[in-house]
Amino acid sequence: MATEAADKELATFLAHSVELESEALERYQELAESMAQHHNDDVAKFFLRMAREADHHLTEVREIAAECDLPELKPWEFNWPEAEPPETASYEAVHYRMSLREAMTLALGNERSAQSYYAQAAGWAKHPETEKVAQRFADEESAHAAELETMISELVGKGEFHRVEDDDPHMPE
Amino acid sequence: MTKAIPLKAKDYKSGVKPIWCPGCGHFSVFNAITKAMAALAIDRDDTVMVSGIGCSSRLPAYVDSYGFHGVHGRGLAIAQGLKVARPDLTVLALGGDGDGFSIGGNHFIHACRRNVDMTYIAMDNEVFGMTKGQASPTTPMEWDHSKLTPHGSGVRPFKPAALALASGAPWIARGYSGNPNQMAKLIAEAVEFPGFAFVHVMSQCITFCPEQTDWKSIVHEREEPALVDADDAAKLFLHEDGFQTGLLYRQERPTWPPTAPQEEDDALAALAASFAV
Repeated sequence: MATEAADKELATFLAHSVELESEALERYQELAESMAQHHNDDVAKFFLRMAREADHHLTEVREIAAECDLPELKPWEFNWPEAEPPETASYEAVHYRMSLREAMTLALGNERSAQSYYAQAAGWAKHPETEKVAQRFADEESAHAAELETMISELVGKGEFHRVEDDDPHMPE
Repeated sequence: MTKAIPLKAKDYKSGVKPIWCPGCGHFSVFNAITKAMAALAIDRDDTVMVSGIGCSSRLPAYVDSYGFHGVHGRGLAIAQGLKVARPDLTVLALGGDGDGFSIGGNHFIHACRRNVDMTYIAMDNEVFGMTKGQASPTTPMEWDHSKLTPHGSGVRPFKPAALALASGAPWIARGYSGNPNQMAKLIAEAVEFPGFAFVHVMSQCITFCPEQTDWKSIVHEREEPALVDADDAAKLFLHEDGFQTGLLYRQERPTWPPTAPQEEDDALAALAASFAV
């Protein structure tokens, strides 16, 4: 009975982890494509890099989850601290004129949110296997965040931004 | 026998890359639609997305289903005609506040009144975005970001939910682009509802209305069940702040066109057979 409960807890946690990393991957890909469409190439490349990172992590999570019977949840049946999974960049947080520094800061916030989520999951876990896996994921997100902090600190001259739309005149003035 | 592999949300994407601005709320609606389609296991070959003109009306191109990018404000007229002619199809009409409530306003009223079994998703960003930011029917009256209305439009925005209710819409919900999973649930429920289901989505345009990034702190989810009494719903829609999300009103009623009695069907079939070559 105890094993069954442990398996269920781990499977539920891993289902959430797969969804978290999938959503992060898809959102970063989407953002990279839309930034490229709007000629913000530095930010597009950065989001593409983040998509690859998320893809690596997703592959790892899927490998761990391969031996589990994951519950099939609809998108609205997942239990997240906020409306979207923690590592997913919010739509309203981006802008086609955003700077590389802003993009990195956004990604840093996402990594920290994911780290916090996994750390809390480790804290809530009733079974050691779930706790161990959740803590491992939390540590990995911490490492990603540290990398981003370094990248931001090394960034020079990419912090400028112009968010006011310079629109064409609509009528003679 | 081979078991069919269930489709995922991304399988409902056509592969055509959206050209919306980064941060546009329509990305969220697009994702919510594909999530809802996957959750309902909708057959792509039996689904049609119909739109009018505008940023949001580009959406049919991005979904891997049949689509019709129609004329400005006429998405609903086309979609209703299609559903009446082919009741076996799942029909979704898509558009924005300019398309649906301005030039298409009359079609919106009559679609609510007619109650054809279909879903209408109106992506409301309170602005004409494709033409670079002019006031729409839902723009706040003091909004002065456009050179056409440098002191604000001075015209009260109308309330789409109130208008839908007054026109007879039997199912009214509101979603927010910052919450695509809740929106996916609403869209799935709308598609399953037997009648005209109106999903009003607050879908931000951060390019021309950067102040809409604040919506995230304003929207609030309805915790009570949907209202079933039109009087109660009227009070709600006339006095609310317009940022309450969830299923707001549901009152099922007969759809249009009415189902013909079997003997009429038989008579028509006999008549048609008499002309067969």
